[in-house]
Amino acid sequence: MIKGEQKPLPEIQGMIAPYKRVLVLGCGTCVTVCFVGGEKEVAGLASALRLHQRLSKGDKIIEEATVKRQCEREFLAEVARQIQSVDAVLSLACAIGVQAVAECFPTVPVLPGVNTSFLGLIEEPGKWSEVCAACGDCILHLTGGICPITRCAKSLFNGPCGGSVGGKCEISPDIPCAWQLIYDRLAATGRLHLLEEVRPPREWKSFSAAGPRRIVREELRVPAEDEKIRPKG
Amino acid sequence: MEVVPRSPAEKTEAIPPCQVACPIHQDVPGYLAAIAQGNFGEALRLIKDTNPLPSICATICAHPCEAECRRGQVDEALSIRALKRAAVDFGCSPTPPAPAPRGERVAIIGSGPAGLTAAHDLARLGYQVTVFEREAILGGALAQFVPLYRLPRDRIQGDIEGIRALGVEFRTDSALGRDFTVAELKGRGYRAVLLGLGLPLSRSLPLPGFDMKDVWPALPFLRDANLYGRRIQPGKTVIVIGGGNVAIDVARSALRAGAARVRLVCLESPEEMPAFPWEIKEAAEEGVEINCSWGPKRILGEDGQVTSLETVAVKAVFDDQGRFNPTFYEDRTAIFEGDIVIVAIGQAADLSCLKDSDIQVTERGQLIFDPVTLATTAEGVFTCGEVATGPGTAVKAMASGRQAALSIHRYLQGEPLTKVEEPQPLGKLDQGVTAAVIRQERQPVPLLEVAQRIRNFDYIDLGYAVETAVREARRCLSCGAGARRVEDKCIDCLTCVRVCPYEVPVVTPATSVDIRADQCQACGICVMECPARAIAFGSSRFEDMERELEQAMAKVTPGGATPPRLVLFYCYYGVNAPPGLADFLKANITPGVALVKVPCLAKLGVPYLLKAFELGANGVLIVDCGDRECIYAQAALWVRRRMESARRVLEGLGLRKEQIELVCLPEERFQDLGERMSSFSQRLGELVH
Ligand SMILES: Cc1cc2nc3c(=O)[nH]c(=O)nc-3n(C[C@H](O)[C@H](O)[C@H](O)COP(=O)(O)OP(=O)(O)OC[C@H]3O[C@@H](n4cnc5c(N)ncnc54)[C@H](O)[C@@H]3O)c2cc1C
Ligand code: SF4
Ligand code: SF4
Ligand code: SF4
Repeated sequence: MIKGEQKPLPEIQGMIAPYKRVLVLGCGTCVTVCFVGGEKEVAGLASALRLHQRLSKGDKIIEEATVKRQCEREFLAEVARQIQSVDAVLSLACAIGVQAVAECFPTVPVLPGVNTSFLGLIEEPGKWSEVCAACGDCILHLTGGICPITRCAKSLFNGPCGGSVGGKCEISPDIPCAWQLIYDRLAATGRLHLLEEVRPPREWKSFSAAGPRRIVREELRVPAEDEKIRPKG
Repeated sequence: MEVVPRSPAEKTEAIPPCQVACPIHQDVPGYLAAIAQGNFGEALRLIKDTNPLPSICATICAHPCEAECRRGQVDEALSIRALKRAAVDFGCSPTPPAPAPRGERVAIIGSGPAGLTAAHDLARLGYQVTVFEREAILGGALAQFVPLYRLPRDRIQGDIEGIRALGVEFRTDSALGRDFTVAELKGRGYRAVLLGLGLPLSRSLPLPGFDMKDVWPALPFLRDANLYGRRIQPGKTVIVIGGGNVAIDVARSALRAGAARVRLVCLESPEEMPAFPWEIKEAAEEGVEINCSWGPKRILGEDGQVTSLETVAVKAVFDDQGRFNPTFYEDRTAIFEGDIVIVAIGQAADLSCLKDSDIQVTERGQLIFDPVTLATTAEGVFTCGEVATGPGTAVKAMASGRQAALSIHRYLQGEPLTKVEEPQPLGKLDQGVTAAVIRQERQPVPLLEVAQRIRNFDYIDLGYAVETAVREARRCLSCGAGARRVEDKCIDCLTCVRVCPYEVPVVTPATSVDIRADQCQACGICVMECPARAIAFGSSRFEDMERELEQAMAKVTPGGATPPRLVLFYCYYGVNAPPGLADFLKANITPGVALVKVPCLAKLGVPYLLKAFELGANGVLIVDCGDRECIYAQAALWVRRRMESARRVLEGLGLRKEQIELVCLPEERFQDLGERMSSFSQRLGELVH
């Protein structure tokens, strides 16, 4: 899932400084799961901001709301009126949600309260790590289910490098060497031969080299007006 | 009369097993929680809500609730009866005002617990109730027969006055059959009549020698000993026949009445004896000799004086079907020497008062009635209590009285007489849960020393001290009061599964995350951690905490009060409840400090810490009671984590993390708090300026 971190309070205060009435808007999906943008965090941040108003004798009005998914227009409908009545929205969604709200309400400034960090996995409660770069051409079947693009510090396709020591990456003794992990996993599943196969260089078009990516599936699209079959008469 | 079954949709949610086991379904966890907070008045108020005889029950209730208490799966059941006693002893709660009268008159015959409960319920519904009692005193078997050393009579009186205050009229020395008939009552305008006649007669045995003058029936002996100070000639040995509670009462009363030696002889083996185990134990402590598995054969005597009881050994008391059908080893006999025999083998109804009425009785002398409506065969005449159900306990008789009152109400209002659905108990606790619950010993109920006990009929139960009651009540697991997943808000993030110290939330294929409400220990940790705020709580503890904070802050921040203002959060349970920390705080509190009691620090989430500042505090001091006292193992851990989170927020806002502090103060160090508080406020003063 998408992982993020709340921006530091001073930065948030700076962002909202010009606005009087601010809606702290949460999202009930990924950011809730990683404790940065669900109803609880919205309440916590709103309370902190109100406290700041009290201390600085400010007159901002801080409102709160949380929708199911900020990235879907339909779920934003329920807070549309509230959004239009405030001077700014401080979104605690991931950047996708922030952009969706901005798109839907072009006249309202939308501010990000969260740094969208990565696509990651919970290692244990309170600890998350990046495991996917959304490269668009998955190779996990060749690497024992371990992504070298994200988990190797150098994103090597043919690791390990010379910096792999005792199974750890040279950049930090806390970080396991992805290629050591890949080797061990392939060995455990009897697939070491995969490492011996020579592969052509990969296409990076699917990643970011070809500009903004987009997926289109015709069969799922809303029918255009002239495609619609209308009842006779 | 028509009986309408309730639709399945009306089925109630499962409730704590103690509450189900209680025949009048009292809110046991509710009043235990109030006691655990030192709030005995609130406990008594909750008790009085469903119990018209709080003082009587607090004293002699057979407490079937305790047998079902789920703490029994962990260590030992809560001492519920003794805690009710503490509520009655230390609490004060006004009786609710008498209701608006309705006009219809109802006559109740018999002032035992069944009749009294019906009188109370009907009076609360607005009926004009008159209770007719044959004896000179009110209270039924409890007032006549239950020994004084177990039930001092002022405890009955208090409850009766509560019922009188509702407008119920009592007529003593008024016997149905002797002084008036049912037909006459109807003629005098009583629209319904309720027979709560009890079982006032003692059974005897048709065996040789039982007609001698020193062979006494149990009930008259008990009545005389209680009411008229009847004593036994010094030096006499008393033989008591019977193995039930009445036999034990007779034996212990005989000792107190001056018998030199008391020998109880019963058919049953020690395990089969119908008397309560604690009664048997106390009797044995006092010196009653208990002789099990002997059946009486005849009483032997000389010159009309009893000399001994001849018995045969019992082979079995019950047959294969579990029916009472004793068999004996005829060749094995034993002789028990003694001067007086008291026969306590059971009680029987006295229905002679119904002669010449249209109330029908079976050939075996039992009232005919509908078990659902408790209506007898005569129009508008109902029955309740032991005369209907057979021998039982006071609280069972009360439940029966309540059932009759409801039936009478429906009868008089022309409503159909529906069967009342019994509530369902929460299931047993899982082993995984019981393993994680902290063991806490049951507080023993102090009794008078044995040597002192047997000298007279003084009340032997000393009752809990305030502190012991508070500690005992805190053992309650608040079954069913805890977490509930709000389905349309939960996003199955698994946080609750991960934070619950008891493994209550589980992942199931059917519903994803299932917070098993029946297993929940109500610590509240998950409620504060759920990022979707998708966990509701079965009681209003969180809302109460918020209100308390607001009210406390409103008190310390009247415009212009000088800073620093600080909020002191402390748990209101256990050692912190009055007279512990709470009283200390009341006496030592300095102006500018808002005291906020919380239902265990496990529930003190970040929002409350921040809210304190939002409402105008400059500092927050959290008082931790010290791990050892807390029933929630991980409260201490979570409150520290939450403090750190709140401190990070303060720092983000340019405040100082030192504005929130935690002190760990076990009971013996309350005195330190004053000093900790003033040094904290001094530091705060420097920080804020
Ligand atoms: C010795 C003894 C000890 C007990 N100990 C306990 C105990 O520790 N805990 C417990 O829970 N239970 C105990 N019980 C049982 C308890 O007392 C009964 O379950 C309960 O009293 C039954 O209530 P009741 O209202 O049905 O009848 P009763 O209490 O028997 O009341 C019936 C009343 O009706 C009156 N009456 C009868 N006929 C007439 C008439 N014709 N006109 C007017 N009035 C009439 C009687 O005088 C009596 O006052 C004990 C019983 C005995 C005998
Ligand atoms: S632990 Fe408390 S709520 Fe649970 S059964 Fe026992 S007394 Fe009742
Ligand atoms: S913590 Fe809340 S959102 Fe997460 S699974 Fe439990 S109830 Fe659902
Ligand atoms: S309230 Fe406590 S015991 Fe109940 S589910 Fe939540 S964490 Fe577990």
